[in-house]
Amino acid sequence: MARRSPVKVIGSRLVQALPVILLATFMVFALLKLVPGDIAVTLAGDNATDARITEIRQIYGLDRPFLVQYGAWLGHVVQGDLSQSLLTGEKVADSIGRAFPNTLLIVVIALVLALITGIPMGVMAAIKPNGWVDKLISMIASLGVAVPGFWLAMILVAEFSLKLNWLPATGAKSFSVSPVDAVRHALLPAIAIAAYGMAEVARQLRGALLEVLSSQYVRTLHAKGLSISRILWQHGLKNVSVNLLTIISLLVNRMLAATVVIEAVFAIPGLGSLIVRGAIQRDFPIVQGVVFTMVVVVIAVNLITDLLCAAVDPRIEQ
Amino acid sequence: MTMTTRREAMALISGALASTTLGGSAFAQGAPKKGGTLRISAPANPSSLDPATGGAGSDHAFLFTMYDTLTEWEFDTLKPKPGLAESWKFTDPTTLVLNIRSGVTFHDGTPLDAEAVKFNLDRNRSDAKSNIKADLLSVASVEVTGPQQVTLKLKTPDTALPGILSDRAGMMVSPAALKAAEGGVVTRKPVGAGAYAFVSWADGEKIVVKRNAKYWKPDRPYPDGIEFSIIPELTTGARSVSAGQNDLIYQLPPRQKAIIERASSVKVVHGPTLYVFQIFLNWAKPPFDNVKVRQALNFAIDRESFVKAALAGLAEPAYMNLPKSHWAYNAEVAKLYPYDPGKARKLLAEAGFKEGTPIEIGGYSDQDSVQREEILIEQFRKAGMNVRFVNAPIAEASAAFFGPEKKGSGLLAAWTGRPDPSLTYSLMFTKDAYYNGGRAPVPTELVAAIKDSRASEDIEVRRKAFATVQRLVMENAFVVPLAFQFELVAMNKKVQGYRPNLLGKPKYDDVWLEG
Repeated sequence: MARRSPVKVIGSRLVQALPVILLATFMVFALLKLVPGDIAVTLAGDNATDARITEIRQIYGLDRPFLVQYGAWLGHVVQGDLSQSLLTGEKVADSIGRAFPNTLLIVVIALVLALITGIPMGVMAAIKPNGWVDKLISMIASLGVAVPGFWLAMILVAEFSLKLNWLPATGAKSFSVSPVDAVRHALLPAIAIAAYGMAEVARQLRGALLEVLSSQYVRTLHAKGLSISRILWQHGLKNVSVNLLTIISLLVNRMLAATVVIEAVFAIPGLGSLIVRGAIQRDFPIVQGVVFTMVVVVIAVNLITDLLCAAVDPRIEQ
Repeated sequence: MTMTTRREAMALISGALASTTLGGSAFAQGAPKKGGTLRISAPANPSSLDPATGGAGSDHAFLFTMYDTLTEWEFDTLKPKPGLAESWKFTDPTTLVLNIRSGVTFHDGTPLDAEAVKFNLDRNRSDAKSNIKADLLSVASVEVTGPQQVTLKLKTPDTALPGILSDRAGMMVSPAALKAAEGGVVTRKPVGAGAYAFVSWADGEKIVVKRNAKYWKPDRPYPDGIEFSIIPELTTGARSVSAGQNDLIYQLPPRQKAIIERASSVKVVHGPTLYVFQIFLNWAKPPFDNVKVRQALNFAIDRESFVKAALAGLAEPAYMNLPKSHWAYNAEVAKLYPYDPGKARKLLAEAGFKEGTPIEIGGYSDQDSVQREEILIEQFRKAGMNVRFVNAPIAEASAAFFGPEKKGSGLLAAWTGRPDPSLTYSLMFTKDAYYNGGRAPVPTELVAAIKDSRASEDIEVRRKAFATVQRLVMENAFVVPLAFQFELVAMNKKVQGYRPNLLGKPKYDDVWLEG
């Protein structure tokens, strides 16, 4: 079968992404309008009057029909403008541009931590299934899945910030200004969400490896006299790389979601904090902007994963 | 004199505990010195840095650093005192003359003269974008009557104005900056005449201000600047102070006191404020359309226990909308509702209210609110009332109760207090007020009494008028006041000179940093 060029693949996937973006932003917009609570009241201030609230609705166009409001937002997005916060007037693109690197840094560090701990654990567990190493690792993995990230976060802060004073307890620093400082700020939150990732990588990798190691061709390799470590590293891991890539892409998406809570614990001005603030204040351009960004990121991650999977395993068709 | 009043008031309210905690902070050691950056953990992103267009009560903590006001207030009693207006006078009941301090300039160099004041007041009372038109409703016109003098012609006598001008309505913005600004608002580029000038604002993240070198108050401010880190999660904010990343955090909930005091580098101060937890009632619909049921509610609450159990003792029991230290407090009104569950039952019986009938009251879903509800449910149960709280996030619950939906018979929420008490009463207890959830009529004598409270400038006369207002509100039991929350501020021990104020919105006038 002739393979399609990656450019065409990317093109067609982008076209498929459009309805997803539309649907996601429309649903979130609808949700924001359906739940009670009215930004006009917030905008009208402490000494609000009914007349003032009505006036505010007119000034900000909040009295227009729901679909018209969504259409107006969409119209701006098509022109590359994510519009601005209803409350503070800051451009949503600016807010996201400032918040996104903070979130991204945490997710990247968390992913690296999850992989450098999870992969050896998964391999070790798969070498002797049901041995004591396997049991110990599976216990640690269960803990990693069970322990809530926000709880772990608070324990980490109490120990490493408040008691030992090694790492900062709150906030974020810009990576471009000071990479060391930025990583120091991102480390604790990254560890807090990496725990789950580590457990997930270890468990999934163990399962996939066991399947590969019990297959016939591995038996042949054994028969040929290859050492267990060569079989593992040369053949085993190569064969589970597709599984691993899939786990990574799922993890990235999951970690992005986890930052919503973790950023609150560490007072990190990232995408998570931004969407929470937007949602609480019913500042819908902010919520819409973040949802839009998140959807784009998730689609991009999935696309890259698919392309990589196809590159490692030519049997996978685009 | 102010210190004595404060200490007396504090001692009355919470005994020795209060005065010892306060002792350490109020009397700063050594002479104040200049320099350093004050790093503050702030709980909320401001709604706007333009005083006329903003909406949130939490904005003041930022606005007060950048904008000076025409009048100011005594920290302990909220009595108005001169600010940018060095004096004011009612030449007749409908004419208020303000004499503006000379030599003051805005941060951009624009002189703060009578023209600038007129420009601001006219904008505040008539611009479409202004959120504070209602504050200046009584003003008919503003005239420049001298280079540093403006005269306000009033539609009706309004002696609440000196108090009102200590708040948003009196915050002076540079007219040059306003004229140059897009849409005529300085939401993101504030230019005032305050102790600090604006540097930057990253939404939800950080606000930076720097010392105004030409500030008119001698030797003020002491720090080179202030950096506000916006940390909505108060537990996290408190941790940032114990870890030394920030110097000060305000608006801490009472339960945080014991936790943060464990850090040896941190000290805590607290003082009473106008911030009152209360149950708003919809007296347009059953069961609270019956005054006896509303009164029963007030008799059913053991406010002393409530303060101890729900607010860690860091509050003053509230029997009306003003605390003891306020200049218009009235001791007689405070005696109207002693804790008396028997009386409550009797009133309910008289009202024909069947014991155990469920009453639905709205509330907020955060941890502290739920704790308050649990205590109230138990107290109401003892008086034969079956109260159920239906919780939702703040924006949702309050819109449902005060907005057109008219959900629930009451709302357990809070009132943040206003610089002049007449605002508190007219915003809640007049027929068309937004905070009168049922938009139900009030007795004509109450309307008259609120009007009277703004008719005379004489503080004794006003005090009497407010006594009448408060008596009528509480006799009709239009509200169930519960407790005035203390302002709880935790700070690094190097922070000196911080004083809580009765409004409960922090000002950093005398703050300096040691070492």
